Amino acid sequence: MTALLSANNLVKQFPVQDGLFTPQRRLTAVAGIDLELFAGETLGLAGESGCGKSTVARLLTGLTPATQGSIRYAGQELSKMDRSQLARFRKEVQMIFQDPFSSLNPRMRVSEIIAEPLAIHRIGSAAERRQRVASLMERVGLSGDQLHRFPHEFSGGQRQRIGIARALAVSPKLIIADEPVSALDLSIQAQIINLLQELKGELGLCFLFITHDLSVLKHLSDRIAIMYLGRIVETGSRDDVLSRQLHPYTEALLSAIPSVDTRKPRRRVIARGELPSPLSPPTGCPFHPRCPYAEELCGTVRPELIEKESGHLAACHFSGRIYRSPSSF
Amino acid sequence: MAPLIEIRGLSTQFRLPGGVLKAVESVDLTLEAGETLALVGESGCGKSITAASIMRLVPPPGRIVAGSILFKGVDLLQLSAEEMRGIRGNRIAMVFQDPMTSLNPVFTIGNQVAEGLRIHRDLSRDQAEREAVEILSQVGIPAPRERLRDYPHQLSGGMRQRVMIAMALSCRPELVIADEPTTALDVTIQAQILELLDRLKEETRMGLILITHNLGIVAERAHRTAIMYAGQIVEMAETSELFSNPLHPYTRGLLASLPEFGAPGEKLSTIAGSVPDLKSELVGCPFRERCPICLEACATHAPGMKEAGAGHAVRCLRAP
Repeated sequence: MTALLSANNLVKQFPVQDGLFTPQRRLTAVAGIDLELFAGETLGLAGESGCGKSTVARLLTGLTPATQGSIRYAGQELSKMDRSQLARFRKEVQMIFQDPFSSLNPRMRVSEIIAEPLAIHRIGSAAERRQRVASLMERVGLSGDQLHRFPHEFSGGQRQRIGIARALAVSPKLIIADEPVSALDLSIQAQIINLLQELKGELGLCFLFITHDLSVLKHLSDRIAIMYLGRIVETGSRDDVLSRQLHPYTEALLSAIPSVDTRKPRRRVIARGELPSPLSPPTGCPFHPRCPYAEELCGTVRPELIEKESGHLAACHFSGRIYRSPSSF
Repeated sequence: MAPLIEIRGLSTQFRLPGGVLKAVESVDLTLEAGETLALVGESGCGKSITAASIMRLVPPPGRIVAGSILFKGVDLLQLSAEEMRGIRGNRIAMVFQDPMTSLNPVFTIGNQVAEGLRIHRDLSRDQAEREAVEILSQVGIPAPRERLRDYPHQLSGGMRQRVMIAMALSCRPELVIADEPTTALDVTIQAQILELLDRLKEETRMGLILITHNLGIVAERAHRTAIMYAGQIVEMAETSELFSNPLHPYTRGLLASLPEFGAPGEKLSTIAGSVPDLKSELVGCPFRERCPICLEACATHAPGMKEAGAGHAVRCLRAP
C-alpha cells in the first residue's frame, strides 16, 4: 500500500539573529523525520512545547518550505507540483487549528467563513454553496439560524465546530489538526473528540492529530509518533506506544500525566531538568541529560530510530531496560 | 481552634451594561492549616474570582456584595485597605497561572523576589538579597545567585513558574492560593512543580487552595475538592470520596467525559449544551438544562447545599 502523504528526512531550520553584530545561528526545529500517512488512518503526533510538532504540521501542509527532505502526496513530490497539482493538494489537505479565537476572521459571518474555501477552489454555484454550507453547519452540530452571526457570538466549542466545517467544505482527504481540543473546556473537549471520530468514520478521512495530550491520542489514533527536540524518538501502533513503550521519554511523558484513577499501580519516572534549547541540542542522544537510564554511550552516539519489534520503532540504546507498566493508562 | 480560612456566603458580582453578572454566588469554604483544597470547574465558573475575592483583588467593576472571609478568625472583608496590604503577599500569597504576564518584564528576578521581603519583613537590601537566594534555591533553581540578575524573558516557562512560587513563599505565608499553577507548562515540568508545591507544603504546614480544571491533578494532590458550576459550589467532599462516589450530575458528567475512562475509539460520554449566561436571572438549578436526571421542580427550586454523608455536601434536589 502506498502512503497518501509521506515525508522523507524532513529538516527545517530557522535563522536566529541575537544581535546586529553577532553571527547568525540556526535553530533546528525539525531534525530529519520520516512520516507516512495511509488513507483512513489517524496518526497521532505527540510531544511537549518546542519539540517541533507544529512545524511538522506547517511543513506537511506546504505552509512553510522545508530546508531539506521531500514530501510526497499521492505519489507526487510537493516541490515539483505544477499549479493545478498544487491546487488539488491544497484542496485535499486541510487544517484545523488550535485556537478557535484567532483562527476565524472576526469580520466575516459564519456562512462566509465556511463558504470561503468553496469560493477559492471555484466549487459550485452560489446556490449550491449556500446549500453546502447549511448542510455542513448541521453536520458539525450548529443550528441553521446561526448562519449570519459573527465568530465572537459563539463559545469556544462552537467556534471549533466552525473551523471543522470550514476544513470539511472542500471534501478533503487528509486533515491535519494541530491541538484542536487543547483550548477547550473538559466537557466540550469530549464533544469535539466525538465529532472528529464520527467524521473520520463517515467520510473515510485520514487524520494527522497533533497534541501534547496523550490521553486524547489514546482515544483517537491508530498509530502514534512521539517527538522530542525535532526528532521522532518512538513510533508504533497505539497500544505498542502507550502500553509497551520502548523509549524512556515516552515512559516519562506517560508517567507524568496526572491520573484520576489513583488505585492503579503507578511508577513515577520523573524526567529531570528541562527541555534543552534547540539552538544547542545535547550531543549524542537528545534526551540523555534528562534520562534515568543514560550511560556514557548516550552522551556521544545518537541512537538511530530503528525497528525494535515488529512495526514498533524507537531511538534508544537501552530500550530493553525500560520498565513496562502492566496497566499503563 | 478556628480554621485557617472560613468563607461564609461569599457573593461577588460584576455590574455590566447587559446586567449584573453573578460570578460567585453564596460560596462556603473552609480550609485547615496543612490542607490542600482543590477548586475545580470550567472557565467562567467563578473559581478565579473566588480566589481574587479572598485576596480582595476583584477587578472592577466587580464587587464583593455579601459574605465574610474569616482568616484565623479575622474577617478580611472588614479590614482597611492598609491592613489588607499587610496580609496580602505576606500571610496570604498567590501563584498565578501565567508567569510571563505576572512577572514584571523590566525588573530583575532578584528585584521582584526581594520586593516582598523588603516591604513585609523590613529587610535591608543585602539581607533581602541573601534571603532571595535562599528561597530561589529552595524552589530548585540552579545557580540562584546568578539568576538574581536575570530578567524574566531569560528564563524558561518552568523556571519562571518556580520564580513565581518563590515570590509567593518569600514571606512564609500561612495560605497560598495557586490559580492554575501548571496549566501553561508541559507535563514533565508540571510533575516537577507539583512535587515542589507538595514538598514545601509539608515543610511549612501552609494551607493550599489549588485552582485547576485538571481532574488528574486534583485526584493526586488534594485532600478535599469543591466542584464549582455557574458561580456556585455544587459538590464538595474528601477527594477520594468525591471521585469514588460523585453525587452531582455535573461531577458525574465531568468524570465520565475524561478520555482516560473511555475505551479507545469509542464515543466519549459528554455533557450536552453549554454553561448558562450568568448575566441572565437564573431561576431554579443552573445546571438543569444540561442535566440528564432533572425534575420539573428543578426549574423552579434552586437547590441548597445538603449533607450527603460525612463531609460530603451536594447541591442537587435528586441527591440522596
